[in-house]
Amino acid sequence: MNRFFAVIESPVTRTFLLGLVVLSFQTTLFNTLRPLGVVLQVMLLFACVSGVVAGSETGAVTGFVFGLMYDMVLTAPLGLSAVVFGFAGYMAGGVNAFVHEARWWVKVIAVAVTSSTAVLLYPAASLVVGIDGLLGSRIVTVALTCGVFNAICAVPAARIAKWALVKPVRQAVWAE
Amino acid sequence: MIVVLLLTSIMLVTLDLRDSGFVGGVRDTFGTLFRPVERLTNVITKPVSNAWRGILDYGDLRRENLALKDLLVKQEGTAIAAAASVREAQELLALNGLPTLAGIDSVTAQIVGQSPSNFSQTFELNRGKSSGIRVGMTVTNGAGLVGKITDATLERSVVMLATDPEYAIAVKVGNCPVGATTTVAPTTTVAETTTVAPSSSAVSPVDAGTTIPGQTTTTLPGEATTTSSTTTSSTTTTTSTTTTTSTTTTTLPKPTTTTIKGFTPFSTTLPPRPGGAGSQITIPDTGGLVPRETGALEGRGIGRTPIIRFVQASDRLGALCEGVPVVTAGGSQSLAPPDLVVGTVARVVTRKGTAGPLLEVDLAANLESLNFVRVLLYQPATEIPR
Repeated sequence: MNRFFAVIESPVTRTFLLGLVVLSFQTTLFNTLRPLGVVLQVMLLFACVSGVVAGSETGAVTGFVFGLMYDMVLTAPLGLSAVVFGFAGYMAGGVNAFVHEARWWVKVIAVAVTSSTAVLLYPAASLVVGIDGLLGSRIVTVALTCGVFNAICAVPAARIAKWALVKPVRQAVWAE
Repeated sequence: MIVVLLLTSIMLVTLDLRDSGFVGGVRDTFGTLFRPVERLTNVITKPVSNAWRGILDYGDLRRENLALKDLLVKQEGTAIAAAASVREAQELLALNGLPTLAGIDSVTAQIVGQSPSNFSQTFELNRGKSSGIRVGMTVTNGAGLVGKITDATLERSVVMLATDPEYAIAVKVGNCPVGATTTVAPTTTVAETTTVAPSSSAVSPVDAGTTIPGQTTTTLPGEATTTSSTTTSSTTTTTSTTTTTSTTTTTLPKPTTTTIKGFTPFSTTLPPRPGGAGSQITIPDTGGLVPRETGALEGRGIGRTPIIRFVQASDRLGALCEGVPVVTAGGSQSLAPPDLVVGTVARVVTRKGTAGPLLEVDLAANLESLNFVRVLLYQPATEIPR
């Protein structure tokens, strides 16, 4: 029984379950709320905050898993979002390495910038695998809107991500 | 670790692009696992979604409703005329043993969701394999082509819209003959005797709606009526004892011009009248029919009109111009049956060299406000799993 609870409590299980729940919000609620006609990217948000919360490597793995789950419900090639989200998670985690004792707003900016970059990277990655036509002027609006939204939601999302990724939930994520 | 993730991604993308059964199986399994979670979340978040829509879309919805009511009134008459024409066309096709869309079964489905991505343009339907839907089948609505099925589970299926960058289909485009002008052969002289009032000293003007010999009137839904002009010379003779005026109408040869794109008027005469002179029947001039050219329609993403490539602008085929209809080409390798309405040419972009022109297409179906669609149970040979 203890072993069962250990499996349930492990970061891997929690991350997977969190991914399922976030994905369900992505395909329902956030598919309806489309400010400026843009689908807000909560899966990408959690990929980025995972990096900020748990470091580059964990961010990359979490981003990869979240991206893979997102690919499962899209018609795009499987693995395309995974590589982009993984990269976003890795980059977001870089804020801990580059900035000594980063303040909370620095982390928020890191989430916004990496989110926007990932949105811009996706069409480029699509181009590599032969899917043309995604790069256009609209991509700027999409990137900016996603960046702003992810910045706004970064703090609460980081708390949830920390619950899933970091075992001892004692220290506040954004504590300086 | 990063390298492992990167290599895994590359492997997965490669497998998926090569239509691996493994990837399809993983997707199906994940869909089965994820669907209940999604349904539960949908129930929980529905009030929020509805509130959001109610706040932002109410005004637009009212305006759209009024506009649609107006449109519906206009379309009712046109629909009846179109239905008669379709029936006539189907009878002709059946007589000649040609394939027709009427012989293809279809399933009506409702759109229950759309892609959660900013890049792919897909919709989810509430019907799936249990209704006979398979990957590759064509999706239409009342107006025209919508897209194709790209994924199908037991109760759900996914439609890729025709505007998606990954969508491509063979289409036929009507060409405009140069100047869209044909010359009507001289027709016979028709003598008519009209009794007029004694005070009349000239021929009264022809009432609106009266067809005069040598005049070709063409009316298409949504188009302005085009009437060819004819020169009429009248000789009026009035005697003191009788009130009979003899009017001789002579139709002179003159070019018949129409502004309707892609439509070539042909010789048309009056139908036979009992005891009337010059009884003739209408025979379409097949030489004047608009030739059609085949090209490939490709989607270009959200907010951009699809384009047609691989068309040639040659003298033999006539000029390519805006407004001409675009229909599916059909054929054993095509995604859709032939003669399915796609839309009209919105713009012709000429290119130098041998590249040929590009045609931008306005789709007949409004893809931004889809609700119910029709899935043709026609699986192209290219989409049948090996």
